[in-house]
Amino acid sequence: MAPPRALDEFVTEANEILESLAKDLFVLDQERGREPDPERLNAIFRAAHSLKGLSAMFGVDRVSRLAHRAEDVLDALRLGRVPLDDRLVDTLIETLDMLQALLARVSQGTHAPDLEVGADHLQERLAQLARGQADAGVDLLDQVGIDPQMRSVFTEYEEHRLRENVKKGVGLWKVRAVYSLADFDQQLAALNARLKPLGEVVSTLPSSQPGDESSIAFDLVFGSSRARGEIEAVLDGATLSPLTSRPAPTEVTPRPGPALVFDSSSSNAPRPATKWDDVSGSGVALPEPTSASGLRLSPDTSLRSLTQTVRVDIGRLDALMNSIGELLLIRSNINRLAEAARQVGTGVALPKLWGQELQREARALERKLDELQKGVLDVRMVPLGQVFDKLTRLMRRLVRESGKDVDFEVSGGDVELDKLIVEELSDPLMHLLRNSLDHGIEPPEVRRLHHKPQRGKIRLKARQQGNQVLIEVGDDGGGMDETRIRQVAVQRGLATEEQTREMSRRDLLNLVFLPGFSTRADVSELSGRGVGLDVVKTNLARLSGLIDIDSRRGDGTTFTLTLPLTLAIIRALMVGVSGRTYAVPLSSVMEIVSIRHADLRTVERREVFEVRGQTLPFVRLARVFKLAEAQRERSFVVLIGLAQQRIGLAVDELLGQEDIVTKPLGGRLRAIPGVSGATELGDRRAVLVLDVGALMEELTRPAAAAG
Amino acid sequence: MSTHKVLIVEDSRATRELLAAALGELDGVEVHLAVSGFEALKVLPRHRFELIITDINMPDINGLELINFVKKNPHYKETPLFVVTTEGRPQDRDRGLQLGASEYVVKPFEPADICALVRRYLKLG
Amino acid sequence: MSRFAELLDRFFYRPDEDVGAFLELAPEVDTGPEVAPEEVPEEFLAFQLGDETYAVPIATVREILKVGDVTEVPRGAPNVIGLINVRGEMLPLYDVKVRLKLADAAPVVRSRADVARGARIVLIRDPEGDAGVLVDRVHGVVKLALSRLESAPNLGLERDAVAGLGRKDGNLYILIDLEQALS
Repeated sequence: MAPPRALDEFVTEANEILESLAKDLFVLDQERGREPDPERLNAIFRAAHSLKGLSAMFGVDRVSRLAHRAEDVLDALRLGRVPLDDRLVDTLIETLDMLQALLARVSQGTHAPDLEVGADHLQERLAQLARGQADAGVDLLDQVGIDPQMRSVFTEYEEHRLRENVKKGVGLWKVRAVYSLADFDQQLAALNARLKPLGEVVSTLPSSQPGDESSIAFDLVFGSSRARGEIEAVLDGATLSPLTSRPAPTEVTPRPGPALVFDSSSSNAPRPATKWDDVSGSGVALPEPTSASGLRLSPDTSLRSLTQTVRVDIGRLDALMNSIGELLLIRSNINRLAEAARQVGTGVALPKLWGQELQREARALERKLDELQKGVLDVRMVPLGQVFDKLTRLMRRLVRESGKDVDFEVSGGDVELDKLIVEELSDPLMHLLRNSLDHGIEPPEVRRLHHKPQRGKIRLKARQQGNQVLIEVGDDGGGMDETRIRQVAVQRGLATEEQTREMSRRDLLNLVFLPGFSTRADVSELSGRGVGLDVVKTNLARLSGLIDIDSRRGDGTTFTLTLPLTLAIIRALMVGVSGRTYAVPLSSVMEIVSIRHADLRTVERREVFEVRGQTLPFVRLARVFKLAEAQRERSFVVLIGLAQQRIGLAVDELLGQEDIVTKPLGGRLRAIPGVSGATELGDRRAVLVLDVGALMEELTRPAAAAG
Repeated sequence: MSTHKVLIVEDSRATRELLAAALGELDGVEVHLAVSGFEALKVLPRHRFELIITDINMPDINGLELINFVKKNPHYKETPLFVVTTEGRPQDRDRGLQLGASEYVVKPFEPADICALVRRYLKLG
Repeated sequence: MSRFAELLDRFFYRPDEDVGAFLELAPEVDTGPEVAPEEVPEEFLAFQLGDETYAVPIATVREILKVGDVTEVPRGAPNVIGLINVRGEMLPLYDVKVRLKLADAAPVVRSRADVARGARIVLIRDPEGDAGVLVDRVHGVVKLALSRLESAPNLGLERDAVAGLGRKDGNLYILIDLEQALS
């Protein structure tokens, strides 16, 4: 294996390759039933090929072997030896998923024995698919008389494309263009763009005949059915000459093209090439998503990446650079003022003007720093579409495998969130979606019985609300069974029978998030992934996110995830407890009240207080953290949590709000219950940031209530 | 000591860096990098390269086309040229050698091996 | 600059702290006749804990810090004194004296006012995450030949964090395995 640093490089690049592969496969998947663009097929082949070479180079054999098999199939596909059918597309998509999974293990530095079997199986299937019939017979290219000199530089694939053009009976041309060395790449790109609507550019050859020092000539091999005049009209200075010395043999012209027929029906009969457009889609259960933005393929959309890299719009970087430029200006102004102050000397009053100027610079500094901060945050933002696309792909497959009839609706892929959050969202969302598919949507016969449309609906929706993003995963399935939840909770000792009776519906539903609610046996049956909803909740808590359920028997279930826009910088309320300072993320603070201790009451010996007619637990942070408590008459109470589920955290002092950057606690301290990290204040002191989700969990747990 | 300029044409960033790192260890070798065939065409006239190492499978022009260009051009035709590519498609390999490539190196290769080849062609001690 | 001074500079360098005192404190090192000529002695950082002198391989030491503000960690392990901010990195500060039976309880340290003047934090590199260890004083770098180290005597005490003993110029250095000592 390569050293870790090099391995990072490998993972980054492999990941980029997989991202582009995913995009192309995505289009292929969506365009089932249409003639695939040869360029796209070649791009997919190139991706597999590059990945194979790259992973072999870095000694990552597992990835290399699988990519190799995929490359073989894709090579056969682009060379027209195997047809593109549903089975092949499905297998390729599975291969992509497997490659991503393998790469994830590589980036974590762990082995993947559990993936071995699946990978071997896939390799076997790919090998079978690759066994198509070779294109035997006379070489058409010999017959049309192409200059052997020119042929000698064609790769096998280019020859194949040329052959395909000959088969179609289109004219083959040589386009010669002479461009300046400085900008030939742009010129060629422009020429390609003009030629593409008229035919296919098979190859671009730098001419062997040297031009002068500053220019270079290219020969483009171009296949087109258009008339010479039509082609010449777009050449803009380039010259056109016929490539072949003889016309193509007439008998091959109408031959049905076995090459790229999209065989979506069960029949394997060859189809005439011209009929491609008529081939209707296969009986895929999942229709096109109806949302406007969910599946949009913009150049920005990509799949979850394993790397720490963010691709940044150059405009955003320019804005940052501008801010820095202005900061440098302010620095020199401040330097000048400092120099002026030094020269005045000690004991002499500085001119008033100097003070004013300093103040002005300080204000400008503050403004520019705000701008810079905002700019850096902008750079971290990526569209949720990155994850939504991947989920859509997986869901399509899962729906197909499940045999259920389900619409999958996606919207809000353009909502942007911090890269860190987007990356971490993919697993929890996948879990919730699988949950909806496996357990939410009823079998068709049950749906009919309840007079529901036979086709179920699963929604994935995101929208921004102020400084938060709400993501909903909903289904119109059977909803959760409260009686069953009650039973399971009592059975597993998570609550007493009496407690469950007194619980609100909402509290009852929230029991499913408790660790231990789903046993291992349930979990594998439930989701096949060994994580229960408690893990989903913990993962979200780590992102300072909250999850809530709404479920109606018969109507379906909706999970709502509330996430902050960014983790990088959050606004926090600083509180003082027994002389210590803690930071409470402001996003989870509902309100702050002042309570006289004389007004406290107890319920089952636990302190409670009343605010606007509602009785809430009064939790002394000092006691939770086992700190010495000072005697006092009043406390400030910070109300944290969700609408119905709130607690009041009693603190001694309110120390104002700060923008903080939460940092993880180093190494060995990772898991301190109730603390999500630390931040540094102006005086460089470390201040702990409270993990409100975990604290709520701990303080409202029924077990804790019982004890 | 005189420096020997070597041009590496490779579209895979990681492989490029690996090659550059390996060759960079050799005394008197100055490594230049091109990320595509087009970029190679631009860089070629600006330096006197003593060795070119190119990948075959690249997005703009393929390595064979680059070899052909180099070998037919009176300015560069004496420059030795290695093809480095993923395990051989025999047809592409044969064409590479026919077009005038001096060596055909198959990935994955050991950096030490390619260094040895480079040393031999540049007649380094 | 001597190699020794360079070494110290590397480990003691903090732009905002004076390190001159350490240079004076550091015992002069020589590779005297007692070491076999073919053996290159290993470098250790020596420091004081209570009345005893301890040493750790210099390679495991990331840097040496003065004691600044320490943030108490609620509900943390008993040997965790608190959290320190090392240029933006939030790292734990450990007490090892209790583990080494040199004290009965970890000290309460909230700022430099709570420690003696010579006290320092030795920041060690550790695969589980770098960590600070509070020591009473840093002596400096000492070179010890590995072949001449003794194994720890069995004193009937459970001190499995002690890896061995080294002697030099009449001083006894107790070599500790910090990874053990922090667990």
